[in-house]
Amino acid sequence: MEIQYQGEHLGFGILGNILIILSFATALLSAISYYFSFKQKSEISNSWNPLARLSFGVHAVSVFGIIFLIYYLIHGHFFEYYYIWQHSNSVLPMKYMWACLWEGQEGSFLIWTFWHVVLSFIIIKKAGTWEAPVMFTMMIIQTFLASMLLGLEFGGIKIGSNPFILLRNHADFANLPFIQMADYLSKIKDGRGLNPLLQNYWMVIHPPTLFLGFAATAIPFAYAVGGMLTGRVKEWVKPALPWSLFGILILGTGVLMGGAWAYESLSFGGFWAWDPVENASLVPWLVLVGATHVMIIFNKNGTSLHSSYILCTLSFILVLYSTFLTRSGILGDTSVHAFTDLGMKGQLLIYMVFFFVLAVFLSIKNRKLLHTQSEEDPISSREFWMFMGMLILVISAIQISITTSIPVINKLFNLKMAPPADAIDFYNSWQIPLAAVIALLMSMGLYFKWKQTDLKTMAKKLLLSFVVSLLITIGVHYYFQFDRIQLVLLLFTSTWAFISNLDYFIRVLKGNIAKSGASIAHMGIAFILLGSLIANSEKTVISQNRLNVDLGKDFPNNENILLYKGDTLPMGEYYVTYKDKIKEGIHIRYEVEYLKANHTTGQFQKEFSLFPFVQLNDRMGNVSEPSTQHFIDRDIYTHVTYAELDDKETEKKSDEGYKPGKKYQLSIGDTITTSNSLVVLQSLNKDVDKDLLMLQESDLAVAANILVMDVNKKMHQANPVFILRGSEAFNRPVEISELGLRFAFIKIIPEENKFEIEVSEKEGNAREFIIMKAIIFPYINILWVGCLLMIIGTWIAIIKRIKKLRTT
Amino acid sequence: MKKIHIIGIIIIAVALAVVVSTISNSSTYAPFKTAIENEGSTFHVVGKLNKEKEFIYNPEVNANLFGFYLVDNEGLEKKVLYNGSKPQDFERSEQIVVVGKMDGDEFHASQILMKCPSKYNGNQQDQLKAVSGDTEAAS
Repeated sequence: MEIQYQGEHLGFGILGNILIILSFATALLSAISYYFSFKQKSEISNSWNPLARLSFGVHAVSVFGIIFLIYYLIHGHFFEYYYIWQHSNSVLPMKYMWACLWEGQEGSFLIWTFWHVVLSFIIIKKAGTWEAPVMFTMMIIQTFLASMLLGLEFGGIKIGSNPFILLRNHADFANLPFIQMADYLSKIKDGRGLNPLLQNYWMVIHPPTLFLGFAATAIPFAYAVGGMLTGRVKEWVKPALPWSLFGILILGTGVLMGGAWAYESLSFGGFWAWDPVENASLVPWLVLVGATHVMIIFNKNGTSLHSSYILCTLSFILVLYSTFLTRSGILGDTSVHAFTDLGMKGQLLIYMVFFFVLAVFLSIKNRKLLHTQSEEDPISSREFWMFMGMLILVISAIQISITTSIPVINKLFNLKMAPPADAIDFYNSWQIPLAAVIALLMSMGLYFKWKQTDLKTMAKKLLLSFVVSLLITIGVHYYFQFDRIQLVLLLFTSTWAFISNLDYFIRVLKGNIAKSGASIAHMGIAFILLGSLIANSEKTVISQNRLNVDLGKDFPNNENILLYKGDTLPMGEYYVTYKDKIKEGIHIRYEVEYLKANHTTGQFQKEFSLFPFVQLNDRMGNVSEPSTQHFIDRDIYTHVTYAELDDKETEKKSDEGYKPGKKYQLSIGDTITTSNSLVVLQSLNKDVDKDLLMLQESDLAVAANILVMDVNKKMHQANPVFILRGSEAFNRPVEISELGLRFAFIKIIPEENKFEIEVSEKEGNAREFIIMKAIIFPYINILWVGCLLMIIGTWIAIIKRIKKLRTT
Repeated sequence: MKKIHIIGIIIIAVALAVVVSTISNSSTYAPFKTAIENEGSTFHVVGKLNKEKEFIYNPEVNANLFGFYLVDNEGLEKKVLYNGSKPQDFERSEQIVVVGKMDGDEFHASQILMKCPSKYNGNQQDQLKAVSGDTEAAS
């Protein structure tokens, strides 16, 4: 008998499924119509275009509808839907409701589809004769993406994952007994909620930006493919150029936002960790930058068409590859934040292979037309060096891709390779020299003229910026003392890249903003390189704990320090106090006060307070989030790496007695630990003053010389005595009241040359503490200024290209 | 020789260099057995935390020394020491990858990677537990 479930709202699901099928079908219909539309020779009698536009319109409405519907369901807490239950709950603040939408894979495919629709509107409105071929490719892409939401199964093959699946129908729940009850819904109190790691304002802005960047790479791809399909093998470059610049702008911003997120609120201890997920979005960006440069070359002198085509298509295919890497579960052990497989691995692979084969096929078919190189570019021309720059970018992309793809290589060849043990160092050893070369090309690039350059005049123009940069480099190096030559090289070239482009803007362009896109964007990139160079290589961990014995020089990691509540420890130029713990809802904030010593008065003055916190989450695990104090010339980053979350204060008062002691058998020189100190058995003293201890002359007395070092590195001595009177043994314990420790010398084991010592601790010894890490990142603001300049410069370039399009 | 050929050669050469350097720098996923046989070389060992045994973490003495017992995929258990504080929610980890080398009978890790069941998309059992817990409370 059918169970009559109570409290469900099935109408939304039905509507949702209709919209999903509609969005898939109309995308396909629109693609087909656009295909016939551009195949039809006569433009006047183009009968397919209205149908194509109409089906696109319906597609757009269904995509918006699906998004709105899911948002509505999240907002109304309709937990009968699995997606809603899995990604949201009823206590979540309003601002994170959108984040729930794209936390899951289905939602992130939706947001990607959404941006394609938005960009397609602009294409339809502005692209003129390019509408049909470009939209054809866009709609094919949309068909694939829409299929990701279908959630159909044919003979065990799953196509897509449906966001409107009911909780009780989901594989995880279908067989649970309580699901069979008609009122099961009343037993589900709340959703699982948003991952605490993602409850962050970056989660609200970063994914949509990144997906807009992804979507933006599809347009140059669509133009390139459309150009090949319609025989306009050369004409596609010009209208595609503003789009690829737009892609650089948005994707670049998205990637940098990811870095900013990692820096501000994840505990990476930096903004770039060469994590596979970060790399996967950086690589398409690098290739897109390369593509844009060769497209500019083609626009100017008609060469490099083939490279333009290859790179434009490649950057989109790499976006697909990046989606495959992060969503297929293949990254597995190598990345902390890859998605797990939703069973769409095969589908993603087909998607990628389809567009790859399409791009290669069209390129082979049109290879004669694509081949433009009739004469060599002279070595003193701008185009030659731009082309070189593109090559370096591609090499950089290749290196990152291969290393990131190790898990894929393992799968393909059945190997057991693991990423390099120190992956960050490995990436840096390749990427720093490459970045130095890129910066060098950026510093001279704009001074080369198209076709041919008079090298003497060029050298004259560059002299000033060269000398100034050299002086700055010497000064900066003198200050920081870089330990590796490639860092000094990058320091010089990125400084020069900034100054020469600034010089170009001032002296050559005379401050003409409209023409300054390239120079400002290059200044930005130079600053991004410079800022990351200084902040990353010169960061200092001020929470160093020199007390500890570490595991050897390969494991230099004394970066965490213990701070008792109320205690003050010196860190770098500051004194740091752990003042208090404040509980606010699901957050426990730790008040960490930074003080400075005033030398004239000898007193401490408060500089600032930071509130790193731990977000409590029973179901998904607690997450601790750092807090950073920003100054113009540096950031002070503070992170609670470990804290006992229960209150100890109440326990403390209950009993002041000693807990039962622990017995240790020690040789001379052995070290043991107690909850608050290090204990070393240094030596034995057989020459005990018996009178003082009121012992008999015939007694055999031995004292142990025990050195006790507390957390503040203060030394204490304890000398418990072992006494043998005839055959009877007893002892005199000794107490260190300051530390709440008691030592007793229990017995001597002559055959092993060991001594038994009993250590007892007071109940109240457990004091509240945090383990924290503090890092100073110097001049990190250079990086953020660089991001801004990059954005502004690229924007100016886009405007210039759009204006050029209109005039021709 | 045309410029395009030179460029082709450069790209191939660099790609080869990248492949060689990646292979020579790459570490290997291995069980403890291999790490013991090659003491002093770095390996990635994948395993599960032995939740029966206690952690070694005494922050009041050394905040930068954390130890635990890891059972690798072949069932061999070793003590792992790590110079750092105890990672958040270590107890909840499903699977752990430690990067480092054997030293005597201990494995010294320079990096610990954890796969937590519920981070990101979650795992079924965890979800089941969460929900059946709610049901009990309700009934």
